Amino acid sequence: MAKITIDGIAYEVDPKLTVIQAARDHGIKIPHFCWHPKLSVAGNCRMCLVEIEKMPKLAIACATQVAEGMVVKTQSERVQKARNAVMEFLLINHPLDCPICDEAGECKLQDYTYKYSIGYSRFNEDKVHKPKRIQLGPNVMLDVERCIMCSRCVRFADEIAKQPVLTFTQRGDHVVLTTFPGTQLDNPYSMNVIELCPVGALTGTDFRFKARVWEMSSTESTCTGCARGCNINIWVRNNEILRLTPRQNEEVNSAWMCDFGRLQTFKDVNSEKRLSGPLMRKEGILSSVGWDEAIAAAASELRLFKKSEIAGLGSAYASNEDNYAFQKFMKDVLGTKNVDFVRHLKEGDEDAFLLRADKTANTRGAEEVGVKPGEGGSNIDAIIQGIKNGSIKALYALEDDIAAIPEIAGVLSNLELLIVHSSIQNETTAAADIVFSSSTYAEKHGTLTNFQGRVQRIRPAVVTLEQDRALDGFAMSRWDKFASHNDRWGRPIKKDARPSWRIVSAVASAVGGKMKFNSADDVFREISEKVQAFKGLNYQKIGNTGVMSKTASRAVPVV
Amino acid sequence: MLNESNKQKLEELRKRYPTSQALVLPVLWMVQEQEGYISEDAMKYVAAILNVSYGHILGVVTFYTMFHSKPLGSHHIEVCTNVSCMLRGCDKIVEHLENKLGITFGETSKDKKWTLSEAECLGSCGTAPMLAIADEYYESLTPQKVDEILERLRP
Amino acid sequence: MTSQNPTETSGKTQWDNLILPSTPNLHKVETYISHGGYEAFKKALEMKPEEVTDEVKKSNLRGRGGACFPTGLKWTFMPKQTTKAKYLCVNGDESEPGTFKDRQIFEFNPHLLIEGTLIACYAMGIPTAYIYIRGEYAKWIKMMELALADAYGKGFVGEKILGKEFSCNIYIHKGAGAYICGEESALMNSIEGERGYPRVKPPFPAQYGLWGCPTTINNVETISNVPIIIKNGWEWYSKIGAPKHPGPILVGVSGHVNKPGVYEMPTGIPILEIIHRWAGGVPGDKGIKAVIPGGSSTMVLRGDQLEGVKMDADSMKAAGSAVGTAGLIVMDEDTDLIKVLTRLAKFYYHESCGQCTPCREGTGWLWKVLKRFEKHEARMQDIDLLMDIANNIEGNTICALGDAAAWPIQAMIRRFRDEFEKRVVHAQAGTPESVAV
Repeated sequence: MAKITIDGIAYEVDPKLTVIQAARDHGIKIPHFCWHPKLSVAGNCRMCLVEIEKMPKLAIACATQVAEGMVVKTQSERVQKARNAVMEFLLINHPLDCPICDEAGECKLQDYTYKYSIGYSRFNEDKVHKPKRIQLGPNVMLDVERCIMCSRCVRFADEIAKQPVLTFTQRGDHVVLTTFPGTQLDNPYSMNVIELCPVGALTGTDFRFKARVWEMSSTESTCTGCARGCNINIWVRNNEILRLTPRQNEEVNSAWMCDFGRLQTFKDVNSEKRLSGPLMRKEGILSSVGWDEAIAAAASELRLFKKSEIAGLGSAYASNEDNYAFQKFMKDVLGTKNVDFVRHLKEGDEDAFLLRADKTANTRGAEEVGVKPGEGGSNIDAIIQGIKNGSIKALYALEDDIAAIPEIAGVLSNLELLIVHSSIQNETTAAADIVFSSSTYAEKHGTLTNFQGRVQRIRPAVVTLEQDRALDGFAMSRWDKFASHNDRWGRPIKKDARPSWRIVSAVASAVGGKMKFNSADDVFREISEKVQAFKGLNYQKIGNTGVMSKTASRAVPVV
Repeated sequence: MLNESNKQKLEELRKRYPTSQALVLPVLWMVQEQEGYISEDAMKYVAAILNVSYGHILGVVTFYTMFHSKPLGSHHIEVCTNVSCMLRGCDKIVEHLENKLGITFGETSKDKKWTLSEAECLGSCGTAPMLAIADEYYESLTPQKVDEILERLRP
Repeated sequence: MTSQNPTETSGKTQWDNLILPSTPNLHKVETYISHGGYEAFKKALEMKPEEVTDEVKKSNLRGRGGACFPTGLKWTFMPKQTTKAKYLCVNGDESEPGTFKDRQIFEFNPHLLIEGTLIACYAMGIPTAYIYIRGEYAKWIKMMELALADAYGKGFVGEKILGKEFSCNIYIHKGAGAYICGEESALMNSIEGERGYPRVKPPFPAQYGLWGCPTTINNVETISNVPIIIKNGWEWYSKIGAPKHPGPILVGVSGHVNKPGVYEMPTGIPILEIIHRWAGGVPGDKGIKAVIPGGSSTMVLRGDQLEGVKMDADSMKAAGSAVGTAGLIVMDEDTDLIKVLTRLAKFYYHESCGQCTPCREGTGWLWKVLKRFEKHEARMQDIDLLMDIANNIEGNTICALGDAAAWPIQAMIRRFRDEFEKRVVHAQAGTPESVAV
């Protein structure tokens, strides 16, 4: 360990660290643009200049290794003057278009301008003009005038995404970030450059001009795009998800997520095909009904079949709580042993970084909480076979568009009863007799177990009809907090959906079983008591970054 | 893209450096000497034979002022206007050239014969003012000397 | 021929040229050998490598590329025990405005440079050297290549040189137009086929240079001093010129002098003597308004403060400037210094690589403000603004280009503030004051 002093306070730090790392570990923030903990050191922005005793010049904290006895000053007059200078330089050719810039509100340049600049400009000349509105790739837009040439995105493309398509051309203040003509920034992780960009130079094509960041609430959750379970934030305005961003978790996704997860996993939440309230087939036509009617109907229909004639399909898309409650209902209440779920492996569609071939978020969790055939029961293949040969007459399927799978689609018409949980209209709901509109991952509490065996939280970011953003402790944006009845945005659309664990509990009770869960927490408490893999876990322990289930081997951290 | 003798030269050069990327400047020189400028296709070619990204080549080509990504006139006249030349009257030389050729700095004549560029110090301060055309330096210039140079290149 | 032979003009002094002797055809290997060429290298091969380094160290040779860093000391930074390759880069990027000395070595004494390179490589146990020459010097690159081929032909360069265990290859690497590549770490990036971006230091080249291997970078003229030291011994060499900055130095004189050119002389010659005695004085016997003593980056000196100022590191430092590359730019009493400074600012703006914020943004800003001075559109507060911008760049960048851009501005304002004041728009009159040109 090396003894160093930062701003008059002594610390013992790992001698391998740089000044900026050592300071950060002790909560001392040294402003910086180009430095990023996950990227190589570039040292070009000069924002992290600090004073180090016995060094004649200011030194950049990002590239200066600590040394025994080093005395660092991060707040001296010289340092502050240098920061003022760097800020002034950065702003002279910057368009200062914060009012129309997506980055505003979460912009390092903007934040530092408040904190470290002199507050006015002495620049009286013409600015350098550069290309604007450049589509760098399918998902990323570039405004070169806003670019401060920190090279974070270039280093990300080279070092992390391994697609070295970004480059600087020209020199001096004419430097332009670009791709080679005809090539695109189109790697599966391209959108990470958007958060990496400390200014508004790189913005998301999808999110561009959708909202000011302070209008959105941000909720910590887990991506459901594949079995990786990247940690994310869900950004919501007026009860609508507008974007997902990665949240750092060294054990799972480092600081990144893939474009697929970012763009495709929340579209169903906002989808026009979203179901609102249960449906029942009446005279051949699916019609809206109340929850009580649907629940009662499901119970009475299910009672018409023998145990062996009923099969249940849990879901690798559903949470541990949903799957646990479901298999308990199937096995303990309805008494069937024909319980399984559909796997969604896309062999080959994976990489050595984050992307997994398993395109569902909870295969491992579904198995662990007991979504598997009971002693002598049918597995998925046998269930399909059973439906085909008529031995299975009623199917209860959770949160999965099973009708999109040809082998299943072909046999569904043989069923006498099909009950499904779904958040959107799809081929399965079209074939169903009773449809329960289930909450999406963004509307409920729960846990998912990723491929490593890491149990991670999902949290509601979007309110459904039965919830209240303030009373139920949701993340709140300024709009949420301050909207009055006069405000257009004070009346968000709420979908009539319920978490699957709640629905199956209700159906179970209606059937006559004993399943009294009042919250996802309740369900999880029982899981932690009854399922070995979850022994001793609770939501508090899982926290924001998850914990390994008891059956998991040590996870291999990424990057 | 590279002709046979340059291909041979390239293989010789490979022995001089531990990485193929180190050959970026030498190979770009070969291409430019051969083709007159470095086209997008040429950049792709160089990237491919040296196993670096297209973008890397583009970045390099645009960093160094002597590499040209667009064709120039048959004679590229570069006039140093830095201080030592300025103190010895380069302004008059520039003015003379502009009048003679009907183009200013950064322009190419309509007949594609001449391109006129402003150059930074070319290391001829002791023989200023000066201009360079291709690899040749013309020094201790007077307007009359400039006329002679242009006359010699004209046919 | 494009360049005057400096030996002709310096012949009338008592100084016997060591780097650029007047020997005809010295660029030919036979001539070079017949005049004692490569004897220093042979002598070095009989010494232990560390003895060679020691000799250079004791000679007090200081780098001729601008920083005046002690060469022998730099050599000792190279690790002796390493499993990595080692490299020498000879810096012939010569692009500092007012500097045109290395070119004379390429043309008139290329074998001295090759011999020096060999000795340096031997001293540091380096098997590979790259001589980096700016692309604009295409003609001189060809001259060097011919000389190098001859040296290979004579067996001075290559494998098992002169039957000894020592092998050394020397390659010439052609630049492509970028002043910044004269900065040692940008030069290495350029050799590696990158954009010429200077690298963050530490790590220094001796630990982490070309391709991450220990590397030493020396200027062409510096290396050309090495055979002279080895041949004559450190004691002899260290007595030439200024004691703390000894040896021969190539001084390039340009601007308002009757006989501009490169002159070889011992260090420590008074600037006024260089201008008047060697370079033939100022045309029309005009007075000297200003002198930039060591290439465009060094701080300008007023004509009335030149008395006693000598061309050596200590004297220049005391005068408030630096030897730099010893490129002396003389400006007579009628010179428009604002125009000069604006042109220099444009140069640094053009050559800033664009990595570091202060230099990338500041150099352009300086030039734009100066253009307003040139056009009589500046305000009084713009003088202090210029100073402030320069101060904010200085010392805050990865490499010294930022400093090099700042120093001329700082010095010019400090020493010629009146020139700026004359260019300021008179707020009340609204008309520019007339300016003597």
